[in-house]
Amino acid sequence: MSLLGRALLRNRGRVTSGILLIGLHQGCEALVPIGIGVIVDRAVAPGHLGRLVLWIGVLAALFLVLTVAYRTGARQLMRAVADEAHRLRLEVAAKVLDPRTEVRTGDVLTLSTTDADTTSYLLDYLPRLSGALVATAISAAGLCLISVPLGLVVLVGTPLVLVALQRAAPRITGRVAARQEAAGRAASLATDLVTGLRPLRGIGAQDAAARRYRDVSRESLDATLRAARTVGWFQAASDTVSTLLACGIAILAGWFALSGRISAGELVTVIGLAAFLGEPFATLSAAPGWFASSRASAERIEAVLGLSPAGPPPAGNPLPPIAGECVGVVVEPDAAALVALFDDGSPDVLVAPHLPELFSGTIRDNLLEAAADDLRGALRASAADDVVAAHPDGLDHAIADRGAALSGGQRQRLALARALLARPRLLVLHEPTTAVDAVTEHVIARGIRDLRHGPGSTLGTLLITTSPALLAVTDRVVVVRDGEVVATGTHASLAATDDTYRTAVLR
Amino acid sequence: MTLALPIATPRQTWIWLCSQLRVHRLDAAFTVATGLGAAAASVVPVTALGLLVDLVRDGAASTALVPIGLLVAGIALLGGIAAGATTTLVSRLGERILANLREQTVGVALRLPATTLDRAGRGDLLARVGADVAAVGAAAAEVLPTVISALFLALLSVIAMFGLDWRLGLAGVAAMPAYLVALRWYLPRSAPIYAAERAAVGVRSQLLVESLQGVRTVHAYRLESRHLSAIDDASARARDFSVGVFALFTRFVGRINRAELLGLSAILVAGFWYVRSGWVTVGETAAAAVLFHRLFSPVSMILFTFDEIQAAGAGLARLVGVGTLPVAPAGAREITSADLTLRAVTFGYEERVPVLCGISLRVAPGERVALVGSTGAGKTTVASIAAGILRPLSGTATAGGVPVDQLAPGTVAIVSQETHVFAGPLIEDLRLARPAAPVEAVEAALERVGALDWARALPGGLATVVGEGGHPLTAAQAQQLALARLVLLDPAIAVLDEATAEAGSVGARELEESALAATKGRTTLLVAHRLTQAAGADRIVVLEHGVVLEEGTHGDLVAAGGRYATLWSAWQSRR
Repeated sequence: MSLLGRALLRNRGRVTSGILLIGLHQGCEALVPIGIGVIVDRAVAPGHLGRLVLWIGVLAALFLVLTVAYRTGARQLMRAVADEAHRLRLEVAAKVLDPRTEVRTGDVLTLSTTDADTTSYLLDYLPRLSGALVATAISAAGLCLISVPLGLVVLVGTPLVLVALQRAAPRITGRVAARQEAAGRAASLATDLVTGLRPLRGIGAQDAAARRYRDVSRESLDATLRAARTVGWFQAASDTVSTLLACGIAILAGWFALSGRISAGELVTVIGLAAFLGEPFATLSAAPGWFASSRASAERIEAVLGLSPAGPPPAGNPLPPIAGECVGVVVEPDAAALVALFDDGSPDVLVAPHLPELFSGTIRDNLLEAAADDLRGALRASAADDVVAAHPDGLDHAIADRGAALSGGQRQRLALARALLARPRLLVLHEPTTAVDAVTEHVIARGIRDLRHGPGSTLGTLLITTSPALLAVTDRVVVVRDGEVVATGTHASLAATDDTYRTAVLR
Repeated sequence: MTLALPIATPRQTWIWLCSQLRVHRLDAAFTVATGLGAAAASVVPVTALGLLVDLVRDGAASTALVPIGLLVAGIALLGGIAAGATTTLVSRLGERILANLREQTVGVALRLPATTLDRAGRGDLLARVGADVAAVGAAAAEVLPTVISALFLALLSVIAMFGLDWRLGLAGVAAMPAYLVALRWYLPRSAPIYAAERAAVGVRSQLLVESLQGVRTVHAYRLESRHLSAIDDASARARDFSVGVFALFTRFVGRINRAELLGLSAILVAGFWYVRSGWVTVGETAAAAVLFHRLFSPVSMILFTFDEIQAAGAGLARLVGVGTLPVAPAGAREITSADLTLRAVTFGYEERVPVLCGISLRVAPGERVALVGSTGAGKTTVASIAAGILRPLSGTATAGGVPVDQLAPGTVAIVSQETHVFAGPLIEDLRLARPAAPVEAVEAALERVGALDWARALPGGLATVVGEGGHPLTAAQAQQLALARLVLLDPAIAVLDEATAEAGSVGARELEESALAATKGRTTLLVAHRLTQAAGADRIVVLEHGVVLEEGTHGDLVAAGGRYATLWSAWQSRR
């Protein structure tokens, strides 16, 4: 079932009562101009005070129903829309975070905010459309009661005008899409330039960057102005046509009144109704565009939700099984591919990502909590204890903006501490010390060895690296070239005998 | 520690808006005139039809219809065109002003001092140049024309009611206090909820973006449910605020309905008395009632877009706020001698944590000095101060005797650890360093850092779109691009703080060669993450805990047996 169908189905209770109540509200709104005509006709013109009081009372009752119907109905619908958008957002988030699917679209944020909202607006659009239909129907019925030809003009004229105006829709949609595309381009350029602010500043290229943004911003302005012109023409056409229709009805009614076929009060009602009809007209002519935007957003979300999970990683891991050992692996040319082979979702294996990613929260939050003893040991082994010590708040130091205020080495050591604290049976580390100095690297190499491979330990560690300091603490080293094991031995023996190994790992 | 970027006060925003309108005063006047014309055109038919009611009551002949019919049809035609023109003109005016604003905002953002940005966090600035610009733009294009037209219509309708008869006009404006009371009830109640809603949406986006950017870590540590439940909580909070503020809004609409009933009844009851007293005709009363009734729709239009208008207003205040930030004027001084000197420089990102405590060093023209030290020693900070990106708390950083922050842009260039591939064609990325550089110059720069071969081999050669959403480049390739930009810029003094170690041993050696080629003949201060880089430098400065510990050539320092010797032997150790 389509996303839109499902949205309707799972909110059917609220949407149904919304449709009924908004219909009631719009029906009452359509009765207001009729009421005005009746009051002018029956109370004001003859100067009848009793009827004035009576009909003002009726008008008040009408407003009471109208306002209560709107309040109740609109709240139901708002609940439905907000709930649906929330659910869609979570579905998108869950899909994106699902380890088995790779969603690499940059616009997941748009998808989970704007698109989720626009999709769920359907639940509001539908009652608005049906309300506009009710209002049109009641107005037409009111006109028919006064004079059948007048009612017929509305019933025939409205669809004709709407169909005619719809012919302009694709052109407007195209121009508006071009406007949004250009605006999006300007926005992403701004984001990109601000993201690369440091490199820009490093080469004094701020002016060049600002000029580049100005060019794109002007293109965006041009597209916007083109769209505004098209929208303006459309508005001119639709305003003219709907005013002419309304005025035509009123003049026709004037002729009927002058020739005595309807009363003066009925003429007032017709004028009021004709003016009022502009409102449901506007809704009816905008509705196709609303539904199109909902459908487009729903399709974008469906595309992501429909992604099928990736299969298990391809077999063909060239490495022998590792248990209770510390093994170094030197891979050429593509270490990342080998790392990915271990990422099979097994709960015993932790493949620590090479890029240290931290989240908002305290240092303690980022270490994912652990017993105090473990914590101290892991911090020492990853040489992250002085990162903690460098901040007056220690473990409670708040990390902002993904740790942007920390140096690369500090982030790397905290991420390593997090990996060590998880104590997986097999820990796969990919170049964990690229951002630290040589002395610290030795400390870390020793630390990993001591923490995970003490006497009686059954833990396994895989160090995929070309760092001699790390390789030196391993039990053995496996050399993989082009996906095949080409050499195995201790770091010392390989370094002594294997020339290609030496070039690969020694500086 | 995080210090938010400023938000303009309503007064500041208003002053800015007025100054912009003054700049575009001709456009603005024309727009207002057209809008008033359109509103008048839509009011005239109703009044004319009121006349028709009286004609009917007086039993006029059918021919009396002709002039009124012609007038109404003609005005409808003119009014339609004027309404369309108003839409175009309002969005044109709004969008032109907005284009200037967004260009100014991005311009300021690009020139903000590094410390301001570090304190505020980049997220806020990104949200302003991205989401806020988009929100204000959408409002200017879609909401503003409707609202302006509605306001004009309301104004003209009231004038028309007074035109029919001043007593009817008075009855019409009798409802005004009821509208004002409703607004005064609603605004102070809704504003804090709207603010809370926006904040909750901000938290929700932040969590989502963070989870996405750290998705590998989320998977590795199986934090999916933890992150999802955090997103769930934040999204539910935002939803509850939206629903809560909407409930308030429906009560507000109820009060507006009350005001509408009051106004309509006032006109009808007053009309009743006036007709009895012979002050006005039945047709005038009917016209006044229809005019008032026709205001329901534009008024509710304004109310329903109120949320968007408020959001756009908040976005506008945030954009104007960026413009109030002080921007250091770009220096313009040239240097005659390419030496780089730091004298007694101290620095700390936070007051409690000093990073540099009195650093002095000099790089002679054409000399290559390596900065060495353990992680966290302050190397990157020294490099940033030397390049003029950070300002020392005390002490001076000069190049050729001129303080580095007064130099013409690009005199001292720095390649930092943070690499960024700018989205777009590869050649345009490089041309940021020298706009309009000929293709040959770009190719020569790539050639010099050893990147030309792979760049030519890309699917579209130098025109290949790279960066976010484009052809992916490796970390080493991104680094080479940064070096090629440096070559294209051709500064006298270069500071290198790059992460060569990321590329693995073999790649790192290649990058070292690229860096060497890129800085050949320049005064170079080099942060050496790999000690082989230091060993090849003319001189080495060893930094530890924010002070210079040792200084000398590689040979001297190794022989001296100090800190550098320890680092070197650790680096050399193969066991």
